[in-house]
Amino acid sequence: MIMTETLIEVRGLRKEYVSRVGRPRITALDGIDFTVRAGELFGLLGPNGAGKTTTVKIILGLTAATEGAAFIGGIPVSNPESRRRTGYLPEGHKIPNYLTARQAMAIFGRMSGMSSNDLKQRVSPLLERVGLAQWGDIRIKKFSKGMTQRLGLACALVHRPNVLLLDEPTDGVDPVGRREIRDLLREEAKNGTAVLLNSHLLSEMELTCDRAAVLRKGKVAAEGTIEELTRRTAKYQMIATPVDESLLTMFRETGAGVERVNGHLELSVNDLEHLNALVDGLRARGGMLKELSQLRSTLEDVFVDLVRTEGPTA
Amino acid sequence: MRVIWANIEDVWREAAARWTLITYFILSTIFIAVFASAVNLDIVDGALAGAKLFGQDVVMNGNMPGIDRVVAIAELIFSLIIYAFSVLLAVFATAHLVPRMQEKGTVDLYLSRPVSRPLLLLSRYVAGMLLAASNVIYLILSIWVIVAWKTHIFNVRFRLAGVIMLFVIAVLLAFAFLIGTITSSTGVSIMSTYALCLLSLFLFVAHGRLDAVLSHEWLVAFVNGMYWVVPKAWELGGSVAAYVTGPLSHMKIPAPGLSAFVSTGIFGLVCLSLAIWRFQKKEF
Repeated sequence: MIMTETLIEVRGLRKEYVSRVGRPRITALDGIDFTVRAGELFGLLGPNGAGKTTTVKIILGLTAATEGAAFIGGIPVSNPESRRRTGYLPEGHKIPNYLTARQAMAIFGRMSGMSSNDLKQRVSPLLERVGLAQWGDIRIKKFSKGMTQRLGLACALVHRPNVLLLDEPTDGVDPVGRREIRDLLREEAKNGTAVLLNSHLLSEMELTCDRAAVLRKGKVAAEGTIEELTRRTAKYQMIATPVDESLLTMFRETGAGVERVNGHLELSVNDLEHLNALVDGLRARGGMLKELSQLRSTLEDVFVDLVRTEGPTA
Repeated sequence: MRVIWANIEDVWREAAARWTLITYFILSTIFIAVFASAVNLDIVDGALAGAKLFGQDVVMNGNMPGIDRVVAIAELIFSLIIYAFSVLLAVFATAHLVPRMQEKGTVDLYLSRPVSRPLLLLSRYVAGMLLAASNVIYLILSIWVIVAWKTHIFNVRFRLAGVIMLFVIAVLLAFAFLIGTITSSTGVSIMSTYALCLLSLFLFVAHGRLDAVLSHEWLVAFVNGMYWVVPKAWELGGSVAAYVTGPLSHMKIPAPGLSAFVSTGIFGLVCLSLAIWRFQKKEF
């Protein structure tokens, strides 16, 4: 497996929903592009209505794009063959609850072209892997939400996909289960699977993903590795004396963001030069610098900043 | 082929889990038991000495009819009941197949597999037909065996009447699939299909007889035209009767012509094609 192989490709996707006659069209996606390579865990972030689910649905052929194209493994998504090795876990999925876990995996496995022998070898180890080994022959209606979610993941993985699209995979799962799912996804990625994650749990995304794209109003507002995204708005923690209002005003006048947090200052600066200028300003006023350390912003900070920002997208 | 098997397994497991399958066969077994107890034949040395149907002596023109005739009458009555009963049950047991599959959170699971939408819908259709066919075959074969066991008369025509029933069920199921695809509602699918059967009865009675009643020619033409569009569920019921009593031509049961079969078949094909087209275009 060539780990740089592009397995998911989205080019200029645009989606407009037409409601009633005479009413304006709703633009859900406005020309988005991104790629996910083999072995990569890619996160799709965005507020409600940003177009995340629409993007996933277009990639799966559940809905058609108004413009643009999407490919899985180089095959256009309009061709069902593109889903031959694609696993999907929808948000709020309803696996028929009259089935047992084993039966559900067998039915969906067969629909992906698996033989009975292949299923026999695959189902039990996979149930064990998602922590449902004891529940294989129990009807799904007896399952808790977390267990149903684990089963959904097992159904998505049953046919050994090399592309995984997961919508809120840890929804309803306890913290231990989340870590297990995270480990499982990392293992899949290590084996060359391209994983596209769609979640509101930003801390989870930060811990799991290699790269992410933030969608805002149907456009990609930012895209990059988690490292790149969280570095965008670097923050520093400063402990100094004396700290009075005139010092804060002086800092703010330079364009820095200043907040008092538990006896120290949190400074948002543009770059290192800007930071040094603030330190110089402090010292020029006779202040004493006690401690200065870099605060990495979380993905949540980046997300909130990007979503709140109006104006052109990146 | 695996896709079709997966859908058959899914549909049958659902029918079993939701008691549909058991209820289906319990009702059919009750019906068979009623038939077995309703038909009492007294056969002495291979000849019919006495016959009772629902406790009443079977007498025609003051004479005891021949055994073959008694069998034909019994099979005629029960084939018509089976026809209505199996069509009613089949629609009720299978109309949910599309609406339930189209539910949010479920349809994604099916459509995210490497299966084209037409194949997915057709697989559900085949699975539904197999479920309905199992019941028709169970009813027809059981009654045929009971009759053969009691009379030693093997009326093959009675068995083949099941084919006509399956044909009508196939057409009505195609219509239920079309409504289910459009509305995603099991209730609407069932009600519409039963309404279609009633419309079929109305058109059967009304067509060709309205000229004197209706003042507008276009209305007469419309009703007569509709007659050829809507499936001929009632006439085909008549064809079941005519087919079962075939050798006893003196019973003179009118059989519909080939055109009734052809127009009904075309209606079914059009419904199924429209259902596939709608499902193919639908955004989820």
